[in-house]
Amino acid sequence: MPIVLITSPPHGLGSELARNLAEKTGWPQYSREELVEEAHAQGIKLSRLETSIIKSPVISEHLAWEKELYLSFVTDTLCKKLENKNLIYSGRAAHLLFPGVPHILRVGLGVPLEMRIENASRQLGLSSEKTQEYLEALDEDVKKWVHYVHREQANDPSNYDLFLNLENLSLANASLLLQNTAELADFRIPEQDLKHLEDIHLAARARLHLARNKETAGLNLGIRVRDKVVTVTYMPRQTAAATSISKALSSLEGCRENLCTMAETNILYVQECFDPKADDLGQVTQLAKRWGAAVELIRLIPKGEEAGICLEDIRSKPLSASHKDSGTYTGGVEDDGPDISANDGGLSDTLEELVAMGRSAGGSTVTGSGREVIHAVKENHNYSLVILGNLFLAKGPQASTRLTRELGLTLHDNLRTPVIDIKELKSEFLFGKAQAFKLILYSLIILCIYTLVFSFQKPILNFIGGDLHEKWKWVAAVGMVFFVPFIAYVYGAVSGLLLKLIDID
Amino acid sequence: MEYIIANFIQLDLSTALQVVLLGFIGGVLSGFIGSGGAFFMTPGMMNLGVNGVVAVASNITHKFGKAMVGSHKHGKAGNVDKKLAAYILGTAIIGIQIAVAINSFLFKGASGHGMAKGAGSNLYISLVFAIILSFVAISMLKDVLGSSKSGNADSGPSRKIADAMAKIKLPPVINFKVADTTVSLWVLMPIGIATGYLAGTIGVGGFIGVPAMIYVLGVPTAVAAGTELYLAMFMGAYGALSYAFQGFVDIRMTMLMYLGSLIGIYLGVYGVKVVNEKYIRMVTSLIILLCVISRAIAIPMYLRQLGMLDIDPAWDVYFNMTSKFFLFFSGISGCLLILINVIKSYMQRRGIQKTLRVVKETAQ
Repeated sequence: MPIVLITSPPHGLGSELARNLAEKTGWPQYSREELVEEAHAQGIKLSRLETSIIKSPVISEHLAWEKELYLSFVTDTLCKKLENKNLIYSGRAAHLLFPGVPHILRVGLGVPLEMRIENASRQLGLSSEKTQEYLEALDEDVKKWVHYVHREQANDPSNYDLFLNLENLSLANASLLLQNTAELADFRIPEQDLKHLEDIHLAARARLHLARNKETAGLNLGIRVRDKVVTVTYMPRQTAAATSISKALSSLEGCRENLCTMAETNILYVQECFDPKADDLGQVTQLAKRWGAAVELIRLIPKGEEAGICLEDIRSKPLSASHKDSGTYTGGVEDDGPDISANDGGLSDTLEELVAMGRSAGGSTVTGSGREVIHAVKENHNYSLVILGNLFLAKGPQASTRLTRELGLTLHDNLRTPVIDIKELKSEFLFGKAQAFKLILYSLIILCIYTLVFSFQKPILNFIGGDLHEKWKWVAAVGMVFFVPFIAYVYGAVSGLLLKLIDID
Repeated sequence: MEYIIANFIQLDLSTALQVVLLGFIGGVLSGFIGSGGAFFMTPGMMNLGVNGVVAVASNITHKFGKAMVGSHKHGKAGNVDKKLAAYILGTAIIGIQIAVAINSFLFKGASGHGMAKGAGSNLYISLVFAIILSFVAISMLKDVLGSSKSGNADSGPSRKIADAMAKIKLPPVINFKVADTTVSLWVLMPIGIATGYLAGTIGVGGFIGVPAMIYVLGVPTAVAAGTELYLAMFMGAYGALSYAFQGFVDIRMTMLMYLGSLIGIYLGVYGVKVVNEKYIRMVTSLIILLCVISRAIAIPMYLRQLGMLDIDPAWDVYFNMTSKFFLFFSGISGCLLILINVIKSYMQRRGIQKTLRVVKETAQ
């Protein structure tokens, strides 16, 4: 049951290769050209999105909404085309579709420019020079498209499983190579990943469904699906739409339950295992309440490690016999059976807790590292903070600290959001005894400085701008440059802590 | 106006409280708009009798400390392109130097000839202020009204100029990774000089720096704001050092402004989260326009003080009061609009804590 996604440069024989492979295997084949036609038929304004992105690739709320709609349409259409879980799709940045779903064969084609010019010139009836100009401009546009729509570099080799250079390889042999590769066990999608794919499909359908509903069309929403439960986060200014969202989703086929959470922003909490009763979660929800944020949970299982043992790890208890027996690797996606929470590292229980608090933005399980986390969350650019909890537990404390730090840097670079360790949360964002002490101390310092300056105005002003200043110009100027940031820092800390105390920050 | 020493006015409790209020309103506005705040505080201090050059110097010093704290927070969010800031800074220093030289010359040159102290520099600052900010406010209003007409109210900034500038490949061409843009140094230089000049002249370099980075260099909005703040820290330090060397920084003004601005800025930033973008741009442009009117009303007074206009000196008080009224009206009404939204959202947030849940048994 392979899914093969082929990316080729424009006029680069991608469709021909896909057709050749389809003839050999009998798997259904679909191309971007057909996708574009279907998009037009369904009223998706693809050409407008393309023009907007190419001419003005600055993210606006509306453009981001249109992009999400387009990606949902592509996901929905391709999922519907899956026959017996087989599909060959060729088109622009095809290899970047279904992000985060492993075991999909992602193929790139390298085609010499001369070959593309010959191909395009024959199809378009243009001279070689004109065709070359046209292809170069087109390549630039595609680069912008990939950068904006998928937030990736078009030529990043780490996004491909296989890259074929067609300079010395015939189409027939290339498709034979692809057929053999696709039939490898590595590209058979296991049951748990198919469930993940179903959730991705349901999220896409939910977005399209809400976009087509008169009362919810145009709303910029965060949508997450886990085990057929759709979680929607909406902005406070869209409060009136909350009931409409729930009503619209109740008629969505395959949606077991829907949750609507109002949130000004999202906090992403990444941890290997969760405990709804843990102090750490209490701190995260305390911050979420203050910020009016929803909390999204990512359970990160490092590649090659056993899932389902972490609750015991966190509580430093020995593994129970029953747990050891049930510890078969599930890739982090659990069955619908009654023992869901026992195998999912406390994710379900913690999500339930968040739902009860009205702070849930959904959750998911990711196997891998930073790259997989980014794939899982990159369509959501409304994070104010990423919190890294207990991770890489099996590696020992020192390696865990190092790997967590490296993960933090990767997430910070890609999501452009502050990333902190759970241990720093209290000191950075919450108000405790240490903060109260700091507030008192800094307030006293500020009080002393202000009293001194305003009690001795004349000599101070004489030094910074009067007769004394004439003799000590440089000392006065340098003193000012050191004194002012000190005041700003100390008083800034006081005002920040005061507002934190009354829950405004 | 009574002076305590040299260029510094006598400060009573009422004036001090007004400076704190100016700082608070400026802080709310600068947190809400993303840059500026000085466009309100500088003329506000001038209306309280502070000389233009002292108002600019105290404000640039105030901004320096504020930017230092703010850019650290932006840096954590990945919104600062330090390489871009370094290139702009190199040229901005030239701009600041030009501004400080002109201001000092006008301030010193205009006194001692029977004219009011600092009238030359006051007129010059007011004129630059009115011209530049009229342009900014009208462009902003046009942008908002245009996008409303086209039905695309939250469309992003146009790329036309940035695309044209990207075609200029005059070496050295520099790539900025965080800002995700590649541009010739020769395009950067005028932007840096203009930013520095305006920061040094009216204390609002960000009003040119941020739009220039967005429209001319094609830098994403958040990175432009973060980089400008980072830049403002160094430009502010340089400006503060230069003005302090000349003896124009009134540290009391700077400290009083901090009392209001550092709290105001938090509330302004909070306002951005709860108000939609079109509303932000509309409120901002109207506030700036009212500030321009306020400054324009004061211009005849400075012209008279310089002997360029023949009107009764008794009218000064009316010019000053009307100018002050417009300024405070713009600042207070803008600030109130923002604070009303902040309070509404704060109450709403406390009221709604539950997630709406709909469970449906589906046919599996």
